[in-house]
Formats: sequence, C-alpha cells, structure tokens
Amino acid sequence: MKTDDLIRALAADTRPERPLWALLMLGLLPALAFAVGVVWATLGFRVDLATALVTPVSAARIVLTGALGIVGMRLALLLARPEGRGRARFWPLAVVGAVALGLLAWAYVTIPPEARQMAVVGKTMTTCLVMIPLLSILPVTSILYALRQGATTVPALAGAVAGLAGGGMSAAIYALHCSEDSPLFYVTWYGLSILGVTLVATVLGARLLRW
Amino acid sequence: MAEQMDEWGQLLTAANTGDSRAYALFLQAVAPVMRGIVRAKGAGLGEAACEDVVQEVLLAIHLKRHTWDPSAPVRPWLYAIARYKVVDAFRSRGRRVDLPIEDFADDLAAEAGPDPTEAADMAKMIGMLDGRSAQIVRKIGLEGASVAETGQLLTMSEGAVRVALHRALKTLAVLRERHVK
Repeated sequence: MKTDDLIRALAADTRPERPLWALLMLGLLPALAFAVGVVWATLGFRVDLATALVTPVSAARIVLTGALGIVGMRLALLLARPEGRGRARFWPLAVVGAVALGLLAWAYVTIPPEARQMAVVGKTMTTCLVMIPLLSILPVTSILYALRQGATTVPALAGAVAGLAGGGMSAAIYALHCSEDSPLFYVTWYGLSILGVTLVATVLGARLLRW
Repeated sequence: MAEQMDEWGQLLTAANTGDSRAYALFLQAVAPVMRGIVRAKGAGLGEAACEDVVQEVLLAIHLKRHTWDPSAPVRPWLYAIARYKVVDAFRSRGRRVDLPIEDFADDLAAEAGPDPTEAADMAKMIGMLDGRSAQIVRKIGLEGASVAETGQLLTMSEGAVRVALHRALKTLAVLRERHVK
C-alpha cells in the first residue's frame, strides 16, 4: 500500500473522539461515588464527621489526600499527552509529601513518649491497610483506562501518577469513616496504603500503557 | 517556520472538527518530514521497510490525534508521537535508534518525488482484517472511493461505513503490534 493511499483512508475517518478529560471523568466520577457508597454502606461514616471536618488536625488528612488525588489526576492528564513528559511539574507532589512528613514530626514531638506507640498502631490499622487499596481499585482502573486512550510516552511514570491519584482519592474517602485523628497513625498507614497502590499501578502502567 | 507551524495547527484543528480535506492536507504535509527522519535513521533498512515505519507513524498520529491540545503548538506533540513510534518500530525490527527530539526539523523532509516506494506491511495487515473491513479500507484508500460510494456499494449507511472504517484502522494498529513483535 502506498502512503498516499493510507492517507486517503485515514482522512476519511473523521469521527471525533472524546477529549481525554471527558473520558476520564466519565469513569472516575462514578468510581468515586461508588467508593463513597461502599464506605457508607459497610463501615459507616464516623459519627462526629461534621466536627472532624472543622478540626484542623483531623481535616488535614482529607485535605492532604484529596490534594494528592487532584494533583495526581492533573499530572495523569498531562502525561497522557505524548509531549506531556517535558511539561509535567512534580513539585506539588513534593509539597504534599513534605507537609505530611511535617505533620508526622510535629505529632511525634508533641505527644508524650509513652503514648507514641499506641498512637501509631491505633485500633484500625488493618482495616485501613485493606480498605484504602480496595477502594482504590475502581478509581485507579478508570484513570488507567483513560490513559490507555491517551498517548503517554512514559508508561511506568503515568501508571505511578494514576496510582497516587486513585490512592489519594480513596484515602480521602476512607477518612470519612476513619476516626483515628493522630498524624502518627494516618500519615503512616494512609501513606503506606497509597504507596502500595502506587507501586502496583506503576507495574500495571508499564505493561498496559504502551501503544 | 513559525508560519508553517500555524498552518499545521489550523489544518489539524479543522481536521478534528471533521474536515477531511484539511486532514488529508495535514497528513500529506507531515508525511515527507516523517519520511526524512525515518530514512536518516534507518539507512540500510531499505526504502520499502522505511516506508512501513512511516505508515506506522502516520497511523499512530491518526489514532492519537485527540490527545493534541489545540491551545498548544502542534509540532512538539507531533514529534513526541513520531519519536515514540519510530523508536518502537526500529526496536521491533531488532534495531536500536537514538532519536533526540532536536533531530526533528523540517529540512529533513525527504525528496521522494511524487511516487514514494510502496510499503508492504500495511497491505499484509489489511489482509488480516475481516472481509468487509478490508474491503472498506481498500475501497477508500486504494481506489479513492468516498464514504458515500463505499456505503452504496456495500449497502451500508454512511454512518456504518465510518464506524467500520474507524474500527478497522484501530485494529490495524493492534495487528501491527502482534505481527511485527
């Protein structure tokens, strides 16, 4: 086949495709709504949710994980474009990480030494480590799906960013239930859960996002 | 050079709103630049194999054209796709190429004359499509039939032909992945 013939066939195919952000929202919004529904139906929201949302140290984890989710999602949309690698700026992720570690250090210093271990371990460590990854399955899948329709030139990195985004959003949703308010608990276990999700998404991205 | 970038941007913008004439002009403008790059990097592969790679790149540009953000310049987007695909195509043919983005420049456009070498891969893969899809691609590509004419010939609606053509082109890209690797 001559290239001019191929061009003729390509030019005849002018069906418009959905822009990537629309494609992403189409999957991600229902996935997040479903995750909120699952938390509400199986674990229930914490009874003092309204108070927790206006208590800085407690609200901080929703703000931090939510920020991670939004920054990650924006990066994913950027990396979905072939030239996105050169335009992506990763410092906002570092800011979120630094604030989280700052909170952790602050909590470590201000809590009496004999109470530290209890604060770290908490009462719901296992639930946290299981639920955040479970809740992240659909959001991460929907982001990876949108990325597959894109044209990333950095598959593993795009997968990692999808994991951070989906993991962060899922942790924010899990926080609607979780009543462990010490940064020693949530920075540690939320952080580890999100890192685990990110690791899996990186591996998936490297395999699935090639084109 | 900046002027030409604007022209490519205008053509692709029109193409993305369904202007198939503008889209053909865009692809015809891009093809020689891609051919120049591929020939410069693939010396020794032979002209036909180079043209295979050019066609792969064009197909990829086509299938990923919705990832272009109209507020961003076309060229970096286009070259990023081309670079990814050229490296991939050479790798699957057992060659490593190093293709820094600075290597892309308009003056690399190959003077191939009016009738570049025929490539073989795409025809082989069209043969692997189901009968009707293959017929649609051949009618429109090789015989230059319009979508409407093809629909009449195959007693399909224009819309159905468009859907089938779009699917066929996507399948070609998938077949390429399996076929070459």
